[in-house]
Amino acid sequence: MQADPAAAIEETKHMSSSTTAGRADDSDSELDARIENVVERTILRNIPGLSLHVSESDLDVGPTPKELVYSNETARLYHYEPLLDEIYRVPILLVMSPVAKGYILDLAEGQSLVEYLLLQGHDVYMLEWAAPRREQSELGLDDYVIDLVGGCIEAVVDDCGENEVTLVGYCMGGMLSAMYTALNPEGPVKNLVCFTTPVNGDGMELYKKWMSSPAFDIERLVKELGNIPGDFVNSSIQALRPLQRSANQMRLLNHAQDDAFVKAHLRFDRWAVDQLPVPGRLAIALARDFIVENKIVNNKLELRGELADFSKITVPFLHVAALHDHIVPAAASKDFIDLVGSEDKQEIVMKGGHVSLVAGGNAVFRLWPQLDSWLGARAL
Amino acid sequence: MSNDESMDPMRLWREWFVKSEKSWSDALTEMMGDERFSDGMGRYVHEALHSHRMFGESMGQYLANLNIPSRGDILDMSDRLAQIEDTLGSIQVELRSQRALLTTLAAGTKSESKPKRPARTRKPQADAS
Repeated sequence: MQADPAAAIEETKHMSSSTTAGRADDSDSELDARIENVVERTILRNIPGLSLHVSESDLDVGPTPKELVYSNETARLYHYEPLLDEIYRVPILLVMSPVAKGYILDLAEGQSLVEYLLLQGHDVYMLEWAAPRREQSELGLDDYVIDLVGGCIEAVVDDCGENEVTLVGYCMGGMLSAMYTALNPEGPVKNLVCFTTPVNGDGMELYKKWMSSPAFDIERLVKELGNIPGDFVNSSIQALRPLQRSANQMRLLNHAQDDAFVKAHLRFDRWAVDQLPVPGRLAIALARDFIVENKIVNNKLELRGELADFSKITVPFLHVAALHDHIVPAAASKDFIDLVGSEDKQEIVMKGGHVSLVAGGNAVFRLWPQLDSWLGARAL
Repeated sequence: MSNDESMDPMRLWREWFVKSEKSWSDALTEMMGDERFSDGMGRYVHEALHSHRMFGESMGQYLANLNIPSRGDILDMSDRLAQIEDTLGSIQVELRSQRALLTTLAAGTKSESKPKRPARTRKPQADAS
């Protein structure tokens, strides 16, 4: 209770002004804290990026020791050093897509399908593709399947001394592996595994529309360019999900303080844009024979006069597809299992996308153990 | 700091973008699948190639006068480097087979230096399907 109203007003004024001053102090310190916070976060966000740009060795990919065994045109066959003293009898030949680099299967220690298979006792070879030179633009689908995949299989047989091989193809590498197996049903392929492999050209909807357009002339494009550049291939893949890369960059910013996340992201990102050029004649075959005329599903694909009939594939067959694959959607791969003539055949559809299927967290804990289990029982 | 981050408008915007990206991408892809877009893109690719060639030809002469390598020169060099890499690869393969041959020959004379290769006798564990 105030005895003197004027004094009370004065006191109120004083209180009010001291409160205002207090608020101003609070506001200043709050502003300081916010600025400090922003600066701290900016530095934290930049450090991983800077350190990664300064030190490229942090992003080294393909860490598992390997030796070049065979080389012919664009084919490079590597053998990975076994990690155990006792291995399965039948070696594995990983066949990469002609547009993608093989290090996605050997991304980093602990994030490598190759390393995992070696640790489970498999003998692992990989067929990777080198960028075609200009004079190699005449390499076609028949050369890739019969001479290059075939040559590598022979080299594996010679090198390991076994007369049987398990083929594991990724994306279009699966397509090449299946074509080789269809053309050579008598061997030496013992088992066939295909990851996210397209077989139905009608299922590649966007590419089908583009390539069926009368305004698009693949032969003219090849005549002009020779080989289809990697950037062109990359842009075509990006078009299937145009904003994904931007979303990934946003995700990277949100996890900029997490060094492990940043490194993993940059490794994936580097691979995603690291596409190989495609030899002109191979590009024509893929565009015309596979996508526009859909010759695999229609059973009309001939390589050097011989029909690549998938129903002639009778070896044990495993197809692994990704539920959220936008590059090879279900419509492009779901017919594979029915086309193959094997009695022992299985399809696994897993959560994930085209890349995370073979190299993401889900792959490490779910797919790889299933793959090892399937292969182990058939590698004796 | 985590509370501050959850209220960061830029972060919220980024999270919204990440969540809604697929819908936007699907809409754009659908648009690109339109017949008119496909025709337009086909024409654009060929026109771009044509103008690229015309420009490249005229620039090639200009760059040669300035003693600067053109894109064609760089591609020639890249091809030559690739040829050298191919040759090195062949030498590497040959060296590997010669080394294996020598090891086998040495193993024939000295039993203790037999080439060590893992035994191919592994069996799957009991729980494997």
